[in-house]
Amino acid sequence: MENKSGDMEKLYAQRLKRYVTAMRNGKPDKIPIRPFVAEFTAKYAGFTCQEVTHDYEKAFLAARRCAADFDWDAVVGNMVYVWTGLTEAIGLKYYAVPGIEISEQTGFQYREPPEEQAFMKPDEYDELIRDPTAFLFNVWLPRVSKYVTAKGEPVSYHNNLSFLKGGMAMLSYFNSFGRQNELLRKESGTVSAISGIFKAPLDIIADKLRGYLGLLTDLHERPRKVMSACEALMPHLEFIALSGADSAKNIPIGYWMHRGCVPFITMEHFNNFYWPTVKPIIEQIWSKGHQVLFYAEGSWDAHLKSFAQLPDASIVYHVDHGDIFRVKKEIGHKFCISGGIPNYLLSYGTADEIRQCCKKIIDGVARDGGYIMDASAIIQNDASIENIKVMTDYTREYGVY
Amino acid sequence: MEELKKQTTPKPGVCFPWEEKLRELSETKGDKELVKKVWEDIDTLGYIYIWHCLLSF
Repeated sequence: MENKSGDMEKLYAQRLKRYVTAMRNGKPDKIPIRPFVAEFTAKYAGFTCQEVTHDYEKAFLAARRCAADFDWDAVVGNMVYVWTGLTEAIGLKYYAVPGIEISEQTGFQYREPPEEQAFMKPDEYDELIRDPTAFLFNVWLPRVSKYVTAKGEPVSYHNNLSFLKGGMAMLSYFNSFGRQNELLRKESGTVSAISGIFKAPLDIIADKLRGYLGLLTDLHERPRKVMSACEALMPHLEFIALSGADSAKNIPIGYWMHRGCVPFITMEHFNNFYWPTVKPIIEQIWSKGHQVLFYAEGSWDAHLKSFAQLPDASIVYHVDHGDIFRVKKEIGHKFCISGGIPNYLLSYGTADEIRQCCKKIIDGVARDGGYIMDASAIIQNDASIENIKVMTDYTREYGVY
Repeated sequence: MEELKKQTTPKPGVCFPWEEKLRELSETKGDKELVKKVWEDIDTLGYIYIWHCLLSF
């Protein structure tokens, strides 16, 4: 028993060193493997999507089973991040929940409302800007929850329960991640891949407040309001990012990048709205010793020169549809890069195709270190177990320095 | 209870500022700093709730 726990602790230390060295753009002993496995864990562990989405203990168990069986250095404690038990208790209307609105074998879906039903109206910018927290409680939450009553309406039993249950459930869930991280460490010597969450102010306005189409209209019809709103959101988003950050400053904060890039917005809008309200936050977070993982969903290649303005090693840059070789050329000297293995390959490719892809990326991007093996995007239950094994085994064989 | 007018936007981490809470308390007989610290710690939990509803869920 003692030997096993000693072995796991030794393995954990090796993996942590490997992962952190690469993230600081150094050359570790081997290429770290850090797949962002979400509903794939359900497939592997024999659970439905519904089970891992609605019962986070099953999601934790599924992640640990994968971590125990695959030679991975780091995983996210639960990449099926939206616990729908919680969202149902709060009464959130914008999710299609596996086993309720959609098939039990389909991952949860975010459903953006039609433009005219956006959760924030175009004439409400001033109220948001004046006090974002109060706006979220008084205006936004009653609109997104079927239980929460609006200001001025009679308080209901369901309203009170939404807050009570939502609050207690959220606390219970977040506190459970500590235990999950400890179990990953003890049971399989696996590092917890990220800690904390950040999103860009402009993405928040598009994703959760005005909707994407509403934001695009606002950028043309009321740009100063949009900018002021972004500036009002900035300190809060920085606070939340740091509140969940790794106290040991090893593990990066996860930054989920959505529709703030060309062609979703224009280059002018990126340069004048998106980037000026993100860059200072990243720099501030780095000044406190924390890296940020830029999970650049889609392709953000048009903005690499902007990202290159950031301090060396302040970020880890994840590649989805972007050209990973171009990314390496433009910012690889400053930042660690992760990802680049297409998800469709992991679903439908042959073993040889996967090995060839891994080899091409390792040869082109990882020779000097500063690379972490992962798929392009979150790995769901369409990925083949055998193909994930091929990616893992090949990287272990070929990705040695 | 009469709603107190907010003079300034609460800073990050704050929903119901201590200064407003203090105006509710007619007097404090014991350790006011203790009351302040615990008020602010729990107030931040409320803050975290709504911002994680926005960001994480």
